[in-house]
Amino acid sequence: MPFWLGTLYSFSMTSETLPKIDYAVATRGLTKTYGHDSTRVEALRSVDVAFARSKFTAIMGPSGSGKSTLMHCLAGLDSADGGEIIIGGKNLLSLNDDQLTEMRREQIGFVFQSFNLVPTINAQENILLPLSLAGKKHDEAWFDTVIKALGLRDRLNHKPHELSGGQQQRVAVARALLTRPEVVFGDEPTGNLDSRTGAEVLSLMRSSTREMGQTIIMVTHDPVAASYADTVLLMKDGSIVGTIEEPTVATVSEALASLAE
Amino acid sequence: MLHVALSNIKTYARRYIAVVLAVAIGTAFLAATLAVNSSTQATLKNSLGESYKNADLVAYSDPNLDPETTEQTSFTLKETDDIRKLSGVTEAYGLGYAYGQMHTSDNGYNVQVQPVDPKQGLGGMELVEGRAPLSNNEMIIDQSHAEDMGISVGDVVALDDEQGKAQNIKIVGLQRSSTNPQTSAYALAGMSEKAWSNFAGEQANFNDIVIKGDGALNAVTQEVQDYFADKKMKDIAVVTADQKVIDDVAQMTGGTDQLTVVLLIFALIALVVTGLVVVNTFSVVIAQRTRELALLRILGAKRKQIRSSVLLEALVIGVVASVIGVLLAVALLAGLIALLHALVPSMSYAAMAVTPVGLIVPIIVGILMTVIAASLPARRAMKLAPLAALRPFDSASVKNRAGIVRIIFGAILAALGVALLIFGAVKGDLIVAFLGGLLSFPGILMLASLFVPSSVAGIGKAFAGKSTSRRLAALNAVRNPGRTTATATALLIGVTLVSMIMVGGQTAKASLNNSVAAEYPMDMAVSFFDGTADEAKAKELAEKINDVDGVSATTTFASTTAELDADTGADMGLDGPVQLQLLSVNPEEFSKTVLDQQIVPKPGEIVLTGWDFGKPTIKIGDKTLKVRETSALLSGSPIAEETLKTLGLKNAQTYPGIIVKVDEDVAGSKINELVTEISDITGVDSSMIDGGVVMKSMFSQIIDVLLTIVSALLAVAVLIALIGVANTLSLSVLERTRENSLLRALGLKKKQLQSMLATEAVLIGGVAALLGMILGVAYGLLGAQSALSEMGKMTYSIPWLQLIAVLAISIIAALLASIMPGRRAAKLSPVEGLATE
Repeated sequence: MPFWLGTLYSFSMTSETLPKIDYAVATRGLTKTYGHDSTRVEALRSVDVAFARSKFTAIMGPSGSGKSTLMHCLAGLDSADGGEIIIGGKNLLSLNDDQLTEMRREQIGFVFQSFNLVPTINAQENILLPLSLAGKKHDEAWFDTVIKALGLRDRLNHKPHELSGGQQQRVAVARALLTRPEVVFGDEPTGNLDSRTGAEVLSLMRSSTREMGQTIIMVTHDPVAASYADTVLLMKDGSIVGTIEEPTVATVSEALASLAE
Repeated sequence: MLHVALSNIKTYARRYIAVVLAVAIGTAFLAATLAVNSSTQATLKNSLGESYKNADLVAYSDPNLDPETTEQTSFTLKETDDIRKLSGVTEAYGLGYAYGQMHTSDNGYNVQVQPVDPKQGLGGMELVEGRAPLSNNEMIIDQSHAEDMGISVGDVVALDDEQGKAQNIKIVGLQRSSTNPQTSAYALAGMSEKAWSNFAGEQANFNDIVIKGDGALNAVTQEVQDYFADKKMKDIAVVTADQKVIDDVAQMTGGTDQLTVVLLIFALIALVVTGLVVVNTFSVVIAQRTRELALLRILGAKRKQIRSSVLLEALVIGVVASVIGVLLAVALLAGLIALLHALVPSMSYAAMAVTPVGLIVPIIVGILMTVIAASLPARRAMKLAPLAALRPFDSASVKNRAGIVRIIFGAILAALGVALLIFGAVKGDLIVAFLGGLLSFPGILMLASLFVPSSVAGIGKAFAGKSTSRRLAALNAVRNPGRTTATATALLIGVTLVSMIMVGGQTAKASLNNSVAAEYPMDMAVSFFDGTADEAKAKELAEKINDVDGVSATTTFASTTAELDADTGADMGLDGPVQLQLLSVNPEEFSKTVLDQQIVPKPGEIVLTGWDFGKPTIKIGDKTLKVRETSALLSGSPIAEETLKTLGLKNAQTYPGIIVKVDEDVAGSKINELVTEISDITGVDSSMIDGGVVMKSMFSQIIDVLLTIVSALLAVAVLIALIGVANTLSLSVLERTRENSLLRALGLKKKQLQSMLATEAVLIGGVAALLGMILGVAYGLLGAQSALSEMGKMTYSIPWLQLIAVLAISIIAALLASIMPGRRAAKLSPVEGLATE
């Protein structure tokens, strides 16, 4: 038995134990299927998982393991078929589209692999976009803190196409952090970056959990990226099959390799 | 590449719906225009051909055949008889008309009488009741007039000939009413040839002789020609009846050809607008397919193959759309004619005619227009580098290089055109101004890329305020300035032309109203020429009219003829004694009812209207009167009642009349009702009630009808342009699927997304309409100035309400145009959208 299976479900999902640890995101019995009959794919098979607050969690797994589906459902971008997703005390599955949209605006941040920014407006406007869509003022001090942390002071007036790939991702991170959401989701946030720039962005994300207490959940297939996380969740065939605490490139690679067997 | 092109169309069919619609409407317009022309000809053939029905040959005078004659010769009964005796002629009848008046107990009718063939073989007479006239005092009359007059078979009526000699005549039959537009103003009557000849007297001449032949027509034609040659009647042509009808139609349709030309201009405008929509659609579709096309290049497609693939797509779309358009036009016209037949039975001769040319030309034009419009984007596609397939494609905005040549050319055209336009307006020369408009408008359109995107951006920014989604919409609206310009230009053309004619029409109306007011110093005048009322009765009626809603004052006048002596006549530049029509009025009441106080006579004065008398006094009877001259138009010279009495006129013929002043706030459209009401009260026929307001309302009605027709024709162009707005928007939405999904992920609600797209459409549509209106107002005012300044003082008038309506319609239509793309965008879940290429 691989070593990491020993830590599987170190936390139990019963309601009595839930309050003991402070979770930012939790699911119960989450299911999602695509297609019908012969093309039927069970993307999520009754997933029960909880993500601790102020931690950086990476979700990994081979193609088709359901990691992206899980993240999209958790982020309220896609609808699950059954179960519960609790963020900020609310079950996402019981919300209508407008409520879900407000949820995304206020409680959830995003960093996508590419096409993160609206091309017609400059960096600062992109960072402020979720707040301005909600018609809300931003907190100047917090804005300064985030900008300073991400080193974007000189780039605020640039349009996205005038920024490098790394700078674009940093703007996206700044945008995600600015609303102080319950959770920030990253969908391969460094997938399009070279390794040095990628490392820079990942360090920034990790320090935001350490220094700002931000919860981050990231989907990646890159063991190097995953090694920046506090915890790695492993998925296969729509189920969580393991976790790795304090992951390193080596442990993650080994775990992935054995998953593929 | 054919299968690539075809499968592209199949795959992207939805993207082409709008462009097919636009091309189909443009082509339908053209096809309908041509079909209207050919149908008018066919209809005229039906009705003009009536007289020649059953005839084989027609002999008529054509002055062109004989250089020595200039007038048409006509035939006599003698010649008709001679022709009947020629070999091969079985029947010959003269077509001639004599005019008279028929009286029934309460009315008189103008009649056109022609000789009829008792066997009904020739001449187009068709009995529907009774029998043909045989003896001298028998006549037939057409059905609808008989009904109108209340006459039936067996009645005896009084018929006056042109000399006024009356005879009693018995109606023995009814004939089918004529549909010939040249004769249908008269009641049609028929007599036997002999009776007609008596009735017509000296006028018993025929314009044509219709002949029925036996055996070889050529021989008969020769025989008849020889007969006229023997008689030295060189100007007589003998042709087949069919040929004669064709000639007559050609002669008569000079007017419909002009109509066709006018319609063709509107069809051309619609096609230009359609072309812009096509250019836009293909540009966008190709931009979206950049990767795909570049991939084809990587796989070994040559530049030319890429271009021909795109052109092939355009060709297929052009063919499909043009055929749909032509079918649409044919169906529409057939429907309209069927409707006409059903609603107006007397128009049964209206015929639908579609010529092969009328079908093929619009199809070819539609195809060519589509392919030519698509060739510009196709050339751009050809220049794609294979590497473009590998480049990620998410540029924020496309820089369109505004062709420097186009800008320079446009600037020259615009400058030249505007100069001519202003010159024409200042000098009152419509032709120069028209030329100026013709040059400057395309010039301004070529410069559109300079001012349309910046206007949209500026207005968008002002409109957006603090709303993020509106601000994004404003930015999106000018993301691709070239696309925005083309979309807006298409709409701008239509709106400019519509508002131009609205402003021009309104200004023309106002100016004509003013010149009418200057010329007609009275609102309305009712005269009792026929003595149906005496002065006391007139006063009583005037009181009654005074109570009518919309009438502010009335007064009576008496029109009296005064005899002037020869000397005074000579003073007026006329020979011998002169009669002067005097209007005797009560000056105090008169001044309250007239618009121009210049025409109110003071005691001892006479007002001479309409001509230059040039002397301070005039002698009437034994009195010398002071002359006051005005340029106003009046049916007589106003003079005060008291003054008239002192003249001591003897045996003067007098009839009374009423002058009516209408409330100023009575709408032009109500004038007709008022006239009818006054006509009812006085028993005077409404056509005999004249005056300024009547003229004004007539002018207004004519201008309104013209405006309505032209606006309806231009509406087609506007409709196509609006389809273009919807098309551009839906294609842009496709292009921005990922971006919109990102916004949705970041917290943009469905409603906000929809309103963002609606704002974008409204910005493009609204700004295009606004710019079009500004241009249209300028063109309208300058045009009206150059057309009407000769008529006197101009009154500029801008129909604000109508213009606002145009703007509102454009905005509402743009909103509607955004509904479908907006729905589609909102329906997409963010995940799906983010996953798309």
